[in-house]
This record gives sequence, structure tokens and C-alpha cells, in this order.
Amino acid sequence: MKNAVLSVGAQFPEFTKKAVVSIEKGKEFYEISSEEIKASGKWMVMFWWPKDFTFVCPTEIAEFNNHYQDFADRDAILIGASTDSEFVHLAWRNNHDDLRGLKFPMLADTSKSLADELGILEANEKIAYRATFVVDPQGIVRWTSVYDLSVGRNVKEVIRVMDALQTDELCPCNWQKGEATINA
Amino acid sequence: MFATNTSDTAQQILQAVGLGASAVPSKLAALAAVDARYLKDLKINVSNALDAASMEKKEAYLIGLSVAVNEKLAALQGGFEQLALAAGATDKEIAEVISCTSLMNANNVYYRFRHFVEKEFYTTAPAGIRMSIMANPVIGKEFFELVSLVVSALNGCQMCVTSHEEALLKHGTSQQRVADAVRLGAVIKSLGVLF
Repeated sequence: MKNAVLSVGAQFPEFTKKAVVSIEKGKEFYEISSEEIKASGKWMVMFWWPKDFTFVCPTEIAEFNNHYQDFADRDAILIGASTDSEFVHLAWRNNHDDLRGLKFPMLADTSKSLADELGILEANEKIAYRATFVVDPQGIVRWTSVYDLSVGRNVKEVIRVMDALQTDELCPCNWQKGEATINA
Repeated sequence: MFATNTSDTAQQILQAVGLGASAVPSKLAALAAVDARYLKDLKINVSNALDAASMEKKEAYLIGLSVAVNEKLAALQGGFEQLALAAGATDKEIAEVISCTSLMNANNVYYRFRHFVEKEFYTTAPAGIRMSIMANPVIGKEFFELVSLVVSALNGCQMCVTSHEEALLKHGTSQQRVADAVRLGAVIKSLGVLF
């Protein structure tokens, strides 16, 4: 079978999805939309995992959470996602020590429509691969990585990629001899 | 839901340089008060520079220490000393980095003078500055060179910078490590001016 993962240069699909943002009673759920994210003027880092309540996932998710501040410093909204429902997300968060203190929303793509548009659904079980998307403030995908179900990610690599995407050398001392000069 | 909050950024920068429990210096506090965008750049610069893959944590903190000494920043010096000790540095190594920074302050001035004037008398007459600590450093010759290079870059001695860089490459040091060390020196100095 052939799958086409949404990649660099593509517009990230529009979406409105329920997410778990807290374990406090009455404040558990929030509806996240691509529109609100665009309106914030920030970058978005969305990372996917195959299934709640499985082993590799919590370590990886906790690692993203440990770097939550690093993403915030880079003006990026961090969102975790899977095709499980918001109720499964909440149950998992309540059930696992490493997940209770999560600072980022866990998005529930219960209909699998977003994962489908992103091209990251595994053929047999229709669960998401470990995909990571970095999306710029204009809603354009600037980096995609897709790992197979059993391979964990390196969160520092995602941060390195963000630094590289965001760090323009604006200083004129960086001009190389022979390069055209900038005309204002 | 996705509003920005940078109020803790100044405190996080201080934490990265071993001053988590200290009061925020006034210039840094002034930037934090107006939610200055630059603070985030500074925090990322500091944490990335200290985290360079070509240097061990201990080495990065010792280079930070040399910058603090060179820039006469007592609080920052204390922070880096604590971090270096926690990362396995010995008191002797810390003393040597301080000594090396002091010696470079003599050499940077004298050799820069030689290079400025370029007259035979000055270049051929012995410098007359004792540098016996260079002979057998406890931090190792390569790292002693690296600290010397960073301090010389801070103090703007062209001749010192070019000769320490060449010496490092002869030791087998990668250009990446040289660049990472000098970047660390530059970034810590940029933090230091806000103290």
C-alpha cells in the first residue's frame, strides 16, 4: 500500500477537536481549533502516538512534557494526539503517575479524520504512527517525522529542528564576501 | 488558552547559570517587567550554548567560570563554581581556570600591543611574563588552550586568538568544539552585561 504523509511546505489541515487539558473535575476538556492556534500567532508542534495505555508512549510523552518550557520559549504550542477518545485520554492521565502533571493538551482524534488527512494511519489497525509535525505561524508544515510504532522519539532533536527553523542570522557580520548586499 | 507568559524566564536563565536562588539583577528584571522578547532569545542562547554536544558539562561550566572572572562578575563566578563542582570539577581545576583567565589578561594586553606596533624590538625581545602554569596544567593542555582561546576572544587580542586556535587544531580539537567554546564565551558575556 502507498501512504502519503503531509510534508514540508503543505498547509496543515483545519481541525476542531476535543482535548484533555486537566485532571481537575469540571476543567478536563477543551475544544482546540486550528483557527485559535493560527490566531495566537505561534508555532505548533503536534506529536502523535499509536494508543493510550501502552508502554513506549508514557516515557516519550513525559519527555515531551519535561521540555514543555523549551517549546514555550520558542513560541510553540505543544499538542499531543492519538486516535483515542478524550475519555480514554483522561482515564490514562488519571491512571499513570508520569501523566498526571502534563502541561500540554492531549488531543482526541476519535473520528481519525485528522490522522487520515495527515496520512499517518497505519493500514491494519488504523492507529497513528509516531508522527511529529512542526507548523509555522502561517499554518505551513515546516518539518515532518514519522517513526514506526515501536520506535521512540528524541525530543531534543525536535527542539534542535525548531532552533534551526527559527534562527535567522540577521547580523550583517555574517555576510560572506561576494554575497549580494541587502537593500532596504 | 495559548497566551504567552515570560515572567519566569529571567529566573530560569539564572537557574541555568547556578543562581536559581538569587535575586534577579536589576537590568534583567527591567527586561522581565516589560515582557521583553529578547529574554527568551537569551535563555535559549544560554541553555543551548551550555548544552553543546562537543563539551562535557564540567568543561562548559569551567568556561562559564572563566568568562565570569574575566568580566569581574562575582555572583556569576560563584554560580559557575558551584555548577562545575557538582559536575565533578576539583578545587584545583577551578583555581587553574581562574589563574589561566588572569594570565590571559596579561598576555592579551601585551601581545596585542606587539601586534599593533609590529616593530622588531618588541617582537624579538622576550615578553618577560612568567607562564609556568601552562607547562603542566591539571585541566589538561587541550582544555587550557580552549579556555585561553575563549578569554582571548573576549579581550580582543587577534594574535592570541589565531595562535590558540592553531594550537587547538594541532591538539586534534575539532573546529566544532572551538566554535562551541567561543560561542559559549560570547553568550555568557551577553548575559553578564545584564548583571
